[in-house]
Amino acid sequence: MSSKIGKINVDSTSNSSSNPGTKTITPSDVLAFRKISDDYLCSPNANIYEIDFTRFKIRDLESGAVLFEIQKPPSEQFPENTSSEDVPDEGNPQEVDPNAGRYVRYQFTPAFLKLKTVGATVEFSVGNKPVNNFRMIEKHFFRDVLLKTFDFEFGYCIPHSKNTCEHIYDFPNLPPELVNEMIANPFETRSDSFYFVEDRLVMHNKAEYAYDGGLM
Amino acid sequence: MGFLKVLKKLRQKEREMRILILGLDNAGKTTILKRFNGEPIDTISPTLGFNIKSLEYNGYTLNLWDVGGQKSLRSYWRNYFECTDGLVWVVDSADKMRMESCKAELEILLQEERLGGATLLVLANKQDLPGALSSQEIKDFLQLDNIKTHHWSVVGVSAVTGDKLLGSVDWLIDDIAKRIFTLD
Repeated sequence: MSSKIGKINVDSTSNSSSNPGTKTITPSDVLAFRKISDDYLCSPNANIYEIDFTRFKIRDLESGAVLFEIQKPPSEQFPENTSSEDVPDEGNPQEVDPNAGRYVRYQFTPAFLKLKTVGATVEFSVGNKPVNNFRMIEKHFFRDVLLKTFDFEFGYCIPHSKNTCEHIYDFPNLPPELVNEMIANPFETRSDSFYFVEDRLVMHNKAEYAYDGGLM
Repeated sequence: MGFLKVLKKLRQKEREMRILILGLDNAGKTTILKRFNGEPIDTISPTLGFNIKSLEYNGYTLNLWDVGGQKSLRSYWRNYFECTDGLVWVVDSADKMRMESCKAELEILLQEERLGGATLLVLANKQDLPGALSSQEIKDFLQLDNIKTHHWSVVGVSAVTGDKLLGSVDWLIDDIAKRIFTLD
């Protein structure tokens, strides 16, 4: 793993206490969300297509530098843990998530928020069933401010395939006060990633971001 | 949703282009994709699925789909035809042994109804290799002059050096834009 200005903490403890409820979640439901969801909106078992995210990478298009890359070793369910002492203990018990396997914390330096154009790559494999109308909707918030929404239709995925998708995009132009708030309030920038197959929610992952790396 | 809003949404969607990159295995599709996006091309392995790049280019949102070209994967190509605005057919110009099968696969694609509206860009790749057929020779071999159903162009390129790559993509974008965005 290379991490020039970022590092990752993945807690791979699994937990079966998720409560998906009975309501069917649709893409238009999550597109309408105005804040981060309080809970996971599907059970880990909803992923009947064995969709597995195996790599995540962020690069800076201006310099060409890879800012962040983590790859899941083939044999492991989740990426190698960085030691747990790297997880800043905020003393905030609500942030300790019971669904840890679907939850990632990223730590970046403030320089990350100054980037102009970045490319974010995900790599994923699928199991022995073909996947139709695979769609990702990802929403990023700082507190209740929506920073960015990704909505992308992968469409069809070949059985046993390994696929990549890179979104190259201009960083949202955020007001300086907001940037300062984001730096001063680690892990209050959050994202929900929803994955749908034929409009059925099959995966829901969460992430939290800090931008105060190197300041402590 | 009001009428204006609907129009605006359509307009936004209109600025999107879907470009499908196909060709036999080892033609250099992924290398072309990576070269176009300024990524290192030193560690590229066979594509066992797809690689997508979504980016802004000349005011358009390009969604580039590179789908693996191995024989076992070609029957899945049809799953990616829908809504394709541009088809990039990548040829390994140095692979004379498989030029017949390259021609046959392209002919099948050109008969495909769902690709009917797509502009065709043939990239005669690997021009940096000694013995590579020229773009003129590729054009003759693939009998591109017989194509009446699609706008097409053939360009000799090298994904390794990047030669002529940007210009050919610009032609493709331009041709698509002229065809589908003229109603504005």
